[in-house]
Amino acid sequence: MRTILRVNMSDLSITKEPLSDKWAGYGGRALTDAVVFTEVPPDADPLGPDNKLVIAPGLLGGTTGPNTGRLSFGAKSPLTGGIKESNSGGTAAHALARLGVAAIIIEGEPEDKLGRYVLRLFPDGHADIVHRHDLTGLGIYETAAVAKGIEAAEHRMSEKTSFIIAGPAGEMGMKAAGIAVTDPAGHPNRFAGRGGLGAVMASKGLKLIAIFYEGLGATEHADKEAFNAASKKFGAALKEHAVTGQGLPTYGTNILANIINEAGGYPTNNFALGRFEGVDGISGETMREITLERGGNVKHGCHAGCVIQCSRYYVDKDGHYKTKGSEYESVWSLGANCGISDMDAVADLDRECGDLGLDTIEMGVTLGVYMDSGKIAFGDADAAMAALKECRKGSELGKILGDGAEATGKAFGVARIPVVKHQGLPAYDPRPIQGIGVTYATSTQGADHTAGYTITANVLGVGGTVDPLKPEGQAELSQGLQIATAMLDSLGLCIFVAFAVLDIPAAFDAIGEMMTAHTGKTWGADELMGLGKEVLTMERLYNEGAGFTAADDRLPAFFYEDKLPPHDVVFTVTDEELDSVHSFVPETAAAMGITVPGK
Amino acid sequence: MRVQLAFFASLSQYLPETGSEDRVSAHTRAMDLPDGTTVGQVITLTGLPDEPRIVFVNGRHAPDDQVLTEGDRLAVFPPVAGG
Repeated sequence: MRTILRVNMSDLSITKEPLSDKWAGYGGRALTDAVVFTEVPPDADPLGPDNKLVIAPGLLGGTTGPNTGRLSFGAKSPLTGGIKESNSGGTAAHALARLGVAAIIIEGEPEDKLGRYVLRLFPDGHADIVHRHDLTGLGIYETAAVAKGIEAAEHRMSEKTSFIIAGPAGEMGMKAAGIAVTDPAGHPNRFAGRGGLGAVMASKGLKLIAIFYEGLGATEHADKEAFNAASKKFGAALKEHAVTGQGLPTYGTNILANIINEAGGYPTNNFALGRFEGVDGISGETMREITLERGGNVKHGCHAGCVIQCSRYYVDKDGHYKTKGSEYESVWSLGANCGISDMDAVADLDRECGDLGLDTIEMGVTLGVYMDSGKIAFGDADAAMAALKECRKGSELGKILGDGAEATGKAFGVARIPVVKHQGLPAYDPRPIQGIGVTYATSTQGADHTAGYTITANVLGVGGTVDPLKPEGQAELSQGLQIATAMLDSLGLCIFVAFAVLDIPAAFDAIGEMMTAHTGKTWGADELMGLGKEVLTMERLYNEGAGFTAADDRLPAFFYEDKLPPHDVVFTVTDEELDSVHSFVPETAAAMGITVPGK
Repeated sequence: MRVQLAFFASLSQYLPETGSEDRVSAHTRAMDLPDGTTVGQVITLTGLPDEPRIVFVNGRHAPDDQVLTEGDRLAVFPPVAGG
């Protein structure tokens, strides 16, 4: 029995509701969307009492299926002003699902605006809210350490404890604030980074959620034998594919640095160049060498049941843990995009963002814009760190930077501000890699590579090939991937499974088979892709209610005007093609019986 | 003709042994090749394994039968991804 845990921060009450029948086929992103779509007015103040933070494991969360431990966080975004789903690894998704929780809905706001609260969920199913003023303003790592100490003193801590944490950036209401989740070793280093959801969590007075799940087994299936068979088939496909079986486990996500640089799409110095001279200093190969030399861990999963194992720990010169990964996106944003080629300096910036609870992508784009203003120089890692320290202080400058790239660009009069729907662009320039430009422009989430990762066919030769330098075929490629991704995000699957799914038909079949065996209802290709379309349809209609139009589905002008070296190209996908990406929405909305909310 | 070879990740061990004057960067070497050499011939010459790979010439995807010309940069990757 899946339940909704409704937490009202206005009166500090917690109620349990059965998941309604209409949402029985929803989990993860589909469920956070459905709650936000239904319960949060599109004109709500994102940091006010009418917004809600929804936390939902996927439909396969809590099972032993491979890579099923993603956790979706949803709300109206303070950064984009539209609907937001940002998902994270870490242990909390399986923990919640094993407690039978389909979603936590956090609503209202505490009377005491300066209050800091901890929500705790216990293995026997009860939950409480405790006042924890001593956590005010603490960094993510210190918050985890203090909370661990308190709970350990009462003999509650174990390996089966998950924390979800808002950092000081969230407490200051910064629009680039994310939410941290602890990994299997208890490090609070997995993030629902994008869209300012850390600020939404903190606006509810919520500093930490502790989930204790000692003694709880995997969730039950309608047909256990069939589930285990499908799960085995899926795991075998992930092991078989060269990317998920070899490339990612060996080098981690930052293996991409050299290949995206080679393709001329590695944004450098605030998207001024497509190749970074200093890439050797921060590549995945270099990171692996440094980490091995210092005795760091170069291969583990971010949640139980991960068979890809792309996570790793970066350690300092003395071998002490500094931060996770670092991941490709973070190394790019805080490295190449800022002209910084020193891996230790990048890891320091990554750790600082992680401890403040700031999205590394947004902050790297922000620092690149700030450098472009001339206030500090490209390549100056010390100045970049000093800027992040301003965020910690909450100074006037820090508050501007903490609100992201667009706020910073406007404050300092920068011409090139790489954002879509107010959210900073990730680590692929859309001029030489045009498919990803379609995703950035049209995604309901603002510029987000994960929303429809066309790098697969554009650069990596996964799932076919589509010439990255030409506009042809990009809209169709992005549409298919956006639908598939919305589905994977709803099942709680790591999107890296897509690399295998796109190339190995048995892997896609296995997802449907796992879903059928788990739920007892038939899930074939039509049902899976239909779910993806429903997700995008709710998001599109919500954004329309929040005021977005086709004009918001465009890249900033400079991507159409300024040629990017080395290929000297601009973005050439037409507006008509961009507008075709969501052509299925009216039909899906009619079938779902929904219309634009708030109108 | 003189070209650059760049092999990455697990393939970097196949980079030809060269003198320091030919070392361009950690993953890149300069090399003299006969005019008319194709991508496929370089792959055979350097002993790269017969496995899936991603090949670029001057930052653009290239097939094995593409003929290299003076100053070209040939880059080869094993299947990789991330994000």
